[in-house]
Amino acid sequence: MEIFSGLLQGFSVALTPANILWCFVGCFLGTIVGILPGLGPPATIAMLLPLTFLMNPTSAVIMLAGIYYGAKYGGSTTSILLNVPGESASVVTCLDGYQMARNGRGGAALGIAAISSFVAGTFGVVMLMLVAPPLAKFALRFSSPEYFALMCMGLAMVVLLAGKSIVKAFLAMLVGLWMASMGTDLFSAQSRFTFGQFELLDGIAFVIVAIGVFALGEVMGNMETREGVPMLPVPKGLRNLLPNMQELKACRFAFVNGSVVGFFIGILPGAGSTIASFISYGIEKAVSKHPERFGTGVPEGVAAPEGANNAETGGALVPMLTLGIPGSGTTAILLAAFVLWGLKPGPLMIQENPELFWGLVASMYIGNVILLIMNIPMIPLFAQILKLPLYILYPIIFGISIVGVYSVSTSLFDVWLLTILGLLGYAMRKLDYPQAPLILGMVLGDAMERALRQSLMMSQGDMSILVSRPLSAGILVVTAVILIVPLFKRMNALREKAIES
Amino acid sequence: MKADSGMYAGRITTLRVTPNLPPRGCFVKWLKSRFPLDVMRPALLLLAVAGLGNQPAIAQGFTPSRPIEFVVHTGPGGGNDLLARAIAKIVEQEKLLPVRMQVANKPGGGGITAMAYMNEKKGETHTVALFANTWFNGPLMSKEARVTMNELTPIVRLVTEPGVVAVKADSPYKSLKDFIEDAKKRPGALKQSGGSIGSRDNIVRSLLMKNTGANWAFISFPGGGERLAALLGGHVQVMFMDPQEAGDRLRDGTLRLLAQVTDKRIAAYPDLPTIKESGYDIPNYVTLRGVVGPPEMPADVLRYWESFFAKLVKTESWKKYLKENFFEDGFMTTAEVQKFSKAYPAEVREMLKAAGITVYR
Repeated sequence: MEIFSGLLQGFSVALTPANILWCFVGCFLGTIVGILPGLGPPATIAMLLPLTFLMNPTSAVIMLAGIYYGAKYGGSTTSILLNVPGESASVVTCLDGYQMARNGRGGAALGIAAISSFVAGTFGVVMLMLVAPPLAKFALRFSSPEYFALMCMGLAMVVLLAGKSIVKAFLAMLVGLWMASMGTDLFSAQSRFTFGQFELLDGIAFVIVAIGVFALGEVMGNMETREGVPMLPVPKGLRNLLPNMQELKACRFAFVNGSVVGFFIGILPGAGSTIASFISYGIEKAVSKHPERFGTGVPEGVAAPEGANNAETGGALVPMLTLGIPGSGTTAILLAAFVLWGLKPGPLMIQENPELFWGLVASMYIGNVILLIMNIPMIPLFAQILKLPLYILYPIIFGISIVGVYSVSTSLFDVWLLTILGLLGYAMRKLDYPQAPLILGMVLGDAMERALRQSLMMSQGDMSILVSRPLSAGILVVTAVILIVPLFKRMNALREKAIES
Repeated sequence: MKADSGMYAGRITTLRVTPNLPPRGCFVKWLKSRFPLDVMRPALLLLAVAGLGNQPAIAQGFTPSRPIEFVVHTGPGGGNDLLARAIAKIVEQEKLLPVRMQVANKPGGGGITAMAYMNEKKGETHTVALFANTWFNGPLMSKEARVTMNELTPIVRLVTEPGVVAVKADSPYKSLKDFIEDAKKRPGALKQSGGSIGSRDNIVRSLLMKNTGANWAFISFPGGGERLAALLGGHVQVMFMDPQEAGDRLRDGTLRLLAQVTDKRIAAYPDLPTIKESGYDIPNYVTLRGVVGPPEMPADVLRYWESFFAKLVKTESWKKYLKENFFEDGFMTTAEVQKFSKAYPAEVREMLKAAGITVYR
């Protein structure tokens, strides 16, 4: 009942014309920021922060939150159409989304991404509204050993992301882990693998690796076939640009999976949406009846990670709003904005500013609807990009990639790095190494090493801390299952073959 | 909506007197007729950004003629980034500059990237940067660094930041002494969450351990949120934090403070003992922030910026900002800060060494 009256109050705040306008502005800006690779929500929010001092905090938080979840909607667009991940969380979407586009289902992939984002985004808000305080307390029980177990589970996904050769997948993953270890070590302040370059002191930005290995590698690979690759097929007619019933049906489970995984990983302050999208993709593939078709353009391979990445927003707001603990770069700057507006983050914030909390929750319902309405009509428009002749499309991809990378750090060093990584991506493609495990290693490596070392510092070097805590032990068991199941499947196949012969 | 009619009116005037821009004025009128004023105010600001400020602040030899680049070494949302953006906002509100101040993020290597960037801007008059402790101890701790504060031109020091020692409210420790005595009894069993090894958290811990013979672990977390989560989840026992981070958590009973890391008690915590008052005579490691220019800044330009920032710190908005964010006024003139920045690295080097950190220069 309390929730109901709160929500009613929230809608009375969020449905004023001014706040609907700000919600729209936020969602719109967010979509654009999401589409542009490089420029992310934290930078956008920081730029707009001075503007919000003149607004009342509720309107401001409605707009800034709109940028946050709006960017998650937009991030999939370039992943699907150009194989350029707009945000780090959209890397996984490239795997099947881009293949769908190549099969002439680009519009459908965009549609599924939008619908999945809507479903999961709404699920995230519902959960945020219903169970925020107890969940936040639960999230606090997670510490370094649990994070280490979670990262292990993420890394186990490599078995599922591997193409034909599991050895090649592991090698790619190891390169990713090595890249993640570059830069200044947090615990000793020593630099590792910097080759004397101060530009490498912070390691290599994830977005450079993702764009280099995926987008540039792909373009260079395609340019090689000189006898003119046929133009990507774009079906005529609006109906053929949107997902059909069969595709939506295939995504039923992916919608649920993405929503739940995304939300629960979102509430953990040390995880993040990239990991959420990888794990939900892995789960989707693990339970699928046709795992071998993943990576060739299956709709559920788009729906699961896109959903996870949107539900994560609702999850990440849980510890931020209820405890004042930011879990990601974006929530950290949102929290900083709260302080600048004179709000004091912490458990009392919701109680003392109910109109802010409920206004935000209600505006997120509205925002998700706005984003769905805004994104669906744009699909036919975006799908036209694929009609461009390749001699125009490829330079555009190169341009977007370079500008995207340069805009993050305004450093030419990063552009050179992008070039090298693009060549690496091309070489991997030629030699048939899967790229996703490299990205996975790169995403997880840093956090995993940190979690392990933190755990061992907590236990004074006793390894048993990793298995003696129930939560981490539980996650490690799941990890073991993920690793073992494919082996069983292979054994079964061998046995069947033996019986047949 | 918070009304700021003076500023708003100023903007409109600026728009009207700006030549060649009648369509904007019309647009504003049209907007005013279509939308309620308070809704559109921030949007108007965005439109009016080109015409900001119209009188020069200080009449001297040098006057800025194009936007000022205000370099910070953190990404958006970092400590110095927020301070820089707050300064830019105050400068705009109080019309202290004839041009805009644009924050430029040059993150990387704990300040080293930003310092290298400033070094390349030799003789540049429209670029200044916000420095912090890491501009002093970063180069000491890093082999790769090529620039130190000695090459750059310190302009002023602005603020110092106090720290507090916090435990969970249900913790058995009622004072810093309780904690340290327990740490003596169980060496290595107690834990502190903090940032990097070169941060104040670890330096103060090392100084305390050296002074008392106690021993507890320091666990690094990259994000402030993770540090706090580790404390609130009971995974570590103590954390050194900014008063702002502690914020409301004292009132709602999730945290308790044991001591303040300051020279003398600050106004926000009149009843909280300093570390020295708790019985531990260790040198106080001050968190500081100030403004630095590129190498070889011309004398008149240096004077301009000194008097500009001297003017800034006298404004009411600045004082209000300091109070809200628990900053202490640590203003130093150019002469003072230049003397300070010559002597300070030696002091920091000793503290870093005491904390067991490898020092490269």
